[in-house]
Amino acid sequence: MGIQERILEILVSNKPGVLARVAGVFGRLGYNIESLCVAETISPEISRITSITNADADFIEKVKKQLGRLVDVIEVTEQLPGQSAQREMILIGMTLNQKNRQETLQTIGMFDCKIISMRNNYCIIQVAGSREEVETVISFLKPLGIDKIARTGILALQQTKK
Amino acid sequence: MMETTGADILVNTLKDEEVDVIFGYPGANSLPIHDSLLKSQIRHYLVRHEQAAAHAADGYARATGKVGVCLATSGPGATNLVTGIATAYMDSTPLVVLTGQVTTSLLGSDAFQETDIIGITMPITKHSYLVNDPCDIGSILKEAFDIAKSGRPGPVLVDLPRDIMAAKCALGDTKDTPSRVKSQPREDQYDEQLRKIASYLNRAERPVLLIGGGVKLAQACNGLARLIEKGNIPFVSTMMGIGSVTASNGFNLGFIGTHGNELANRIVHDSDFILTIGARFSDRSTSIVEEFAPLATIAQIDIDASSIGKVVKANISLVCDIREALAGLIPLVEKKNRREWLDRIKREKTACQNTAMDECGPVGPFIRNVQTALPEATTIVTDVGLNQIWALRSWQAKAPRSVITPGGLGTMGFSLPAAMGVQVGAPDRAVVVFSGDGGFFMNIQELVTVTCYQIPLKIVVFNNGNLGMIRQIQDLFYGARFCDIELGTSKVDLVAIAKGFGIEADRVPVDDAGAGIQRMATSEGPFLLEVMVPPDNYVYPIIPPGKSNIDMISGRQG
Repeated sequence: MGIQERILEILVSNKPGVLARVAGVFGRLGYNIESLCVAETISPEISRITSITNADADFIEKVKKQLGRLVDVIEVTEQLPGQSAQREMILIGMTLNQKNRQETLQTIGMFDCKIISMRNNYCIIQVAGSREEVETVISFLKPLGIDKIARTGILALQQTKK
Repeated sequence: MMETTGADILVNTLKDEEVDVIFGYPGANSLPIHDSLLKSQIRHYLVRHEQAAAHAADGYARATGKVGVCLATSGPGATNLVTGIATAYMDSTPLVVLTGQVTTSLLGSDAFQETDIIGITMPITKHSYLVNDPCDIGSILKEAFDIAKSGRPGPVLVDLPRDIMAAKCALGDTKDTPSRVKSQPREDQYDEQLRKIASYLNRAERPVLLIGGGVKLAQACNGLARLIEKGNIPFVSTMMGIGSVTASNGFNLGFIGTHGNELANRIVHDSDFILTIGARFSDRSTSIVEEFAPLATIAQIDIDASSIGKVVKANISLVCDIREALAGLIPLVEKKNRREWLDRIKREKTACQNTAMDECGPVGPFIRNVQTALPEATTIVTDVGLNQIWALRSWQAKAPRSVITPGGLGTMGFSLPAAMGVQVGAPDRAVVVFSGDGGFFMNIQELVTVTCYQIPLKIVVFNNGNLGMIRQIQDLFYGARFCDIELGTSKVDLVAIAKGFGIEADRVPVDDAGAGIQRMATSEGPFLLEVMVPPDNYVYPIIPPGKSNIDMISGRQG
């Protein structure tokens, strides 16, 4: 079918309203943004948006061209599988109790996560790593009772200089 | 005191951009701008509904090739512009839209006459700005004009909070940020693609040029005419391409699509190579995409990369300014006599004349008589519906900017206000409005504007008492179950109404209109001619919904 995960790296002017315009292009075409990361680059006037959407090759070409028309968009690149380094950070909120305490702490130790907050047995666990690592930790902790997860979304950078 | 206000800087920048005319309607939040305009030579035309301001600026831009400018206040003033902005967006007209906005401290508080016009118009503008520093206004406006006219033109909106317009900026503090609009570098494959296109053109047995609105926008009509002549290549137009080449050119086969003429649709269907120039393959032109031009290799030249391959797969494409592309292409094209193809087309043309599918009824000769009675240098502005197709099929376009129609959005009510803009921009031309009774009543209030400024429009209103095109569709495809189309306009005295607005007027039946046409043609000022047309006068051929370009019908089936 050709529908697969596509990572788009979009460099934009760092101005109000730009994100709304970019999101509008996806929305208008009826596609969902599965993951979105946006922040300043090394130049404060330029921001990098890293977005993930599930689509086929035709759609991605369409989206790239329509994004390219926006005045605030400086460059659009599709990051090809195998050519980009990808990371994510998540925060997991969990209540520790008799039943899950030991295994939770073991998991945290095994995967090198950090407990960054603990109040009244409610802890916040920080997990950072490759997408697979993060998903693995989640799968271990889920049966132990995850209350909330906050995710940054996937960060990605090309591994070669253009 | 070397200080100036935001509004003064705005007006000075408009002068720098060679703006002579603004169409607008004031409100509390745009008053500082109107106040500054008083000090300038820029003429402000007061319309009677903001939608008309946008359409007038659009008509002005289409007639002159310059950027049209309109001005409205915040809230309802701005939202009333939306249909006009969308119309310009769909047809790629360069517009700068200025809207007043509430004071910055009130933004987002649901203040009186506040709307997020930037949010509302995001999908229908090339770009937009909210100005929050008077010292920025000069750079912002310059960039807005650049964006409006560069690449594929379109509307740009600048939202101007009242306090920013009134605020002072010391002359030394005005920012001079360079515009971000840069000329597009040629794509890497430019030479190769040009050669490929030329090679196909030279080898094709049944080539056709498909001309879209982009040729006029690129000011490339002369180049196009040279290409046609050199290569002996027959051409068809989309609705927006009409007028790019004189209608009487021997290679003109008409316009394609849902309401195109039979010959154009048939020839495209038989063609083996179609060079599309400045057309975006809208669904109106292609009907069923999979069945469009089944035998043809398709090449597409356009300045907008996102139009290439968006609907129809282009086997060869070139993203480039059309004028440049044509200049590069013509030397590579061989002179061919194409005897066989041209003879075949001649036979098809005769066959079409025999089937007589092309039918505008008595309106056809009426429009031709109007054209004969008026000067050569006449521009027509159509509305939408039967009136539009009758006009586009019957009027013989003689110059590129002489046929103006809202093809992309299909906005009823466009013709009268747009024609005002056309006449203001082209005072030496005669301007004719062709409208139906439906569209005419949508912006009828502009008759006040026409009278007050004595804009000498020749306004033809085809009155069939109905929403004509819809009636045709209900008649042919909904088992003649007519509903919600009777406008009651035949019960209303349009001539008396026009005279009430201070405009000379007359009423004629469509098949005996000679005297009325004469009166209109010889009138000095604005004139309205109401032309009574029977409601079952339709336009043929028409493509039934869901059918391809080749499935044209010329009457009720079964």
